[in-house]
Amino acid sequence: MELLAQLPQNLVSGLLLGGMYALIGVGLALVFGVMDIVNLAHGAFLMVGMYTTYLLVNHLGLDPYLGILVSGPILFVLGMLIQRLVIKRIATASHMNQILLTVGLSMVLVNTAQLLFTADYRQIRTSYAETVIRIGSVSMNLAYIISFFLAVAITVGLYLYLMKSEFGRALRATSQDIHAAQLMGVNVQNVQMTAFGLGMALAGAAGALLTPVYYLYPTVGENFGLKAFTMVVLGGMGSVVGAALGGVTLALAESLGQIFVGHELKDAIGFFVFILVLLFKPEGLFGRARA
Amino acid sequence: MRRGPVRALALLMAVLLLAGCGGSATQSPGSSSSSSSSGSSGSAGSGTSSGSSGASNPSSSQANLPDEIEIGIITALTGSEAKFGEAHMRGYQIALEEINAAGGVLGRPLKLIVEDDASKPENAISAAEKLATQTKVPLIIGSYSSAATLPAAQTATTYQVPFIVPTAAADNITEFGSRYVFRINSPSSEYASTVVNFLMDQVKPKTMAIVYENTNFGTSTAQPARELAEKAGIQVVAYEGYAKGAPDFKPLITKVKAANPDVVLYVSYLLDATLLMRQARELDFNPKVYIGAGAGFSTPEFVREEGAGKDAEYTFSATLWTTDVAWKGAKEFAEEFEKRYGVEPAYHSAETHAALYLVKDVLERAGSLDREAVRQALAETDMGPDATIFGPMKFNEKGQNAHPMLVTQVQDGNYVTVWPSEYAAAAPILPTPTWSERK
Repeated sequence: MELLAQLPQNLVSGLLLGGMYALIGVGLALVFGVMDIVNLAHGAFLMVGMYTTYLLVNHLGLDPYLGILVSGPILFVLGMLIQRLVIKRIATASHMNQILLTVGLSMVLVNTAQLLFTADYRQIRTSYAETVIRIGSVSMNLAYIISFFLAVAITVGLYLYLMKSEFGRALRATSQDIHAAQLMGVNVQNVQMTAFGLGMALAGAAGALLTPVYYLYPTVGENFGLKAFTMVVLGGMGSVVGAALGGVTLALAESLGQIFVGHELKDAIGFFVFILVLLFKPEGLFGRARA
Repeated sequence: MRRGPVRALALLMAVLLLAGCGGSATQSPGSSSSSSSSGSSGSAGSGTSSGSSGASNPSSSQANLPDEIEIGIITALTGSEAKFGEAHMRGYQIALEEINAAGGVLGRPLKLIVEDDASKPENAISAAEKLATQTKVPLIIGSYSSAATLPAAQTATTYQVPFIVPTAAADNITEFGSRYVFRINSPSSEYASTVVNFLMDQVKPKTMAIVYENTNFGTSTAQPARELAEKAGIQVVAYEGYAKGAPDFKPLITKVKAANPDVVLYVSYLLDATLLMRQARELDFNPKVYIGAGAGFSTPEFVREEGAGKDAEYTFSATLWTTDVAWKGAKEFAEEFEKRYGVEPAYHSAETHAALYLVKDVLERAGSLDREAVRQALAETDMGPDATIFGPMKFNEKGQNAHPMLVTQVQDGNYVTVWPSEYAAAAPILPTPTWSERK
């Protein structure tokens, strides 16, 4: 009875948080799922996105959501640079090499942030985050709602872009068979660079959406980086929509699971669901079984 | 080819485990690790140099005192806790100048011999050894973290050097049977009893919820709070641990709200304290009292815009010291501190300031720098509430000072001392106005 009363709020909370999880997962899905690069720096990219948003809001007075239009391109270019200078060298190397390199990259980014901003935590305050919408017993923070819809819009937009555009076709071709794509005249180098840039821009966008409702400090990405991998595999490797749904599933599992066990075990619930999926549907919830 | 991701994931988990171990040490966002650094005290090897404990007493009678009286200080000047070492040094500095300007101790100026423990237990041990055997100080004050302070106190005990603890809060520092260790601040277990005593005195609640960070810090306060509350007849209707750093506490607060407690006790650092209060407002959760056990609920940032801001209003917290407490000199110290350093002093600075005044009192009663005489004088200390800015000093047989803890309430964006009444600057506002009643 009492448990049922908590259900609507937890459902809404989980769903709204899931929107942001989805965006984080989608960014990694492009790099890890599609391009097959184990990117352990994804959490750090998210952090870079958050600090960029913080600077834009605090020093230029930009709205955090409009800030995506600035921070997105900045991170896109930064991502392409990182791909060209660093990632490209290990694009075909073993996963171990990729892990070592991206962990190193993540350390550099985190420690640079610590140098520039110190370990102090910061937050931005917006009128959105102060506005609360109540429907019955359920309360929603306006900032969460906006972030949710923007996350959904970006995910859908990206999906359509990948499915309909010339670049999308090239990207999918590259992920399926890099040599065949090359033979068909796809500029594989450019595709990989752009995909990595897009992945970083998406992490940045997720960071921008997270900043108004969370706080930031240099190691903030650690939590989300690990979860992003869970989302990608949960949803099905290689599927952008799968990663988004994986994100929502994970957030809902964490949120609803708390009705029965404590908040302290919420991460355990998420990983429990993850293990179940791997056991019974190893290709992921929304992935196609591959040959 | 497609086997790759699974193998990668296995590798990934392994790497993350490793990275997690190394990473956690540096992960101290903000001033979150402020009070009660209970942490891993005791884990540092207690086996100090077992050899010659031949205390080399600089037996000097009053007639042949040195030109300057050297006092040993150990604190964290570098490393992860350097921020708090800085707070320590600022308190020492102000007290040192005041004492020497007023004629010093026994007619001699005080001099501080400062050793840096670099926030590490092993350095704290060697610092204590150095001060005991080379500098030959009559007493040592140190250090910041409990992890570093415990082995330093054990080393000082080996060399029979009196050792004053200004900040470290782990209970076991005064529990290892040393005659030489004297602690000024309250141990961490006192936070729980202060919270419950305040509630029974001022609120008399029937029900209570305890929400705590599921770490050593959280449970070491939450568990005694639960036992004491139940002993006092308060029914604990919710006892919920949480994983720190979660972006969304709403499911947790929804659960606690459903239990409808009179009082909510949060044991949280700053980051979570901020989100817990913000999301409690969003969920329109209105207990009669929000109270914190120090930490996040008594850091200066909490009441400012970069913390919970106006959501912090009316929250109570147990704390060690405030700038408005009715102990003589506290206000003046806060003003001087702010003038010099541009920030409000935290209790760490007040503790070290008071520690030097304790030293002055002790040395003057001992009349010499003989370590045994100093130890005897320390044990016999009986300083009234206005003797130091940190209140009265009187040690029990374990060397623990009976420091009266305070309860503050955020009123108009400031921490105001509201309990116990003899040290209060204002009356508590009870019950807490509901969120919709607030401006």
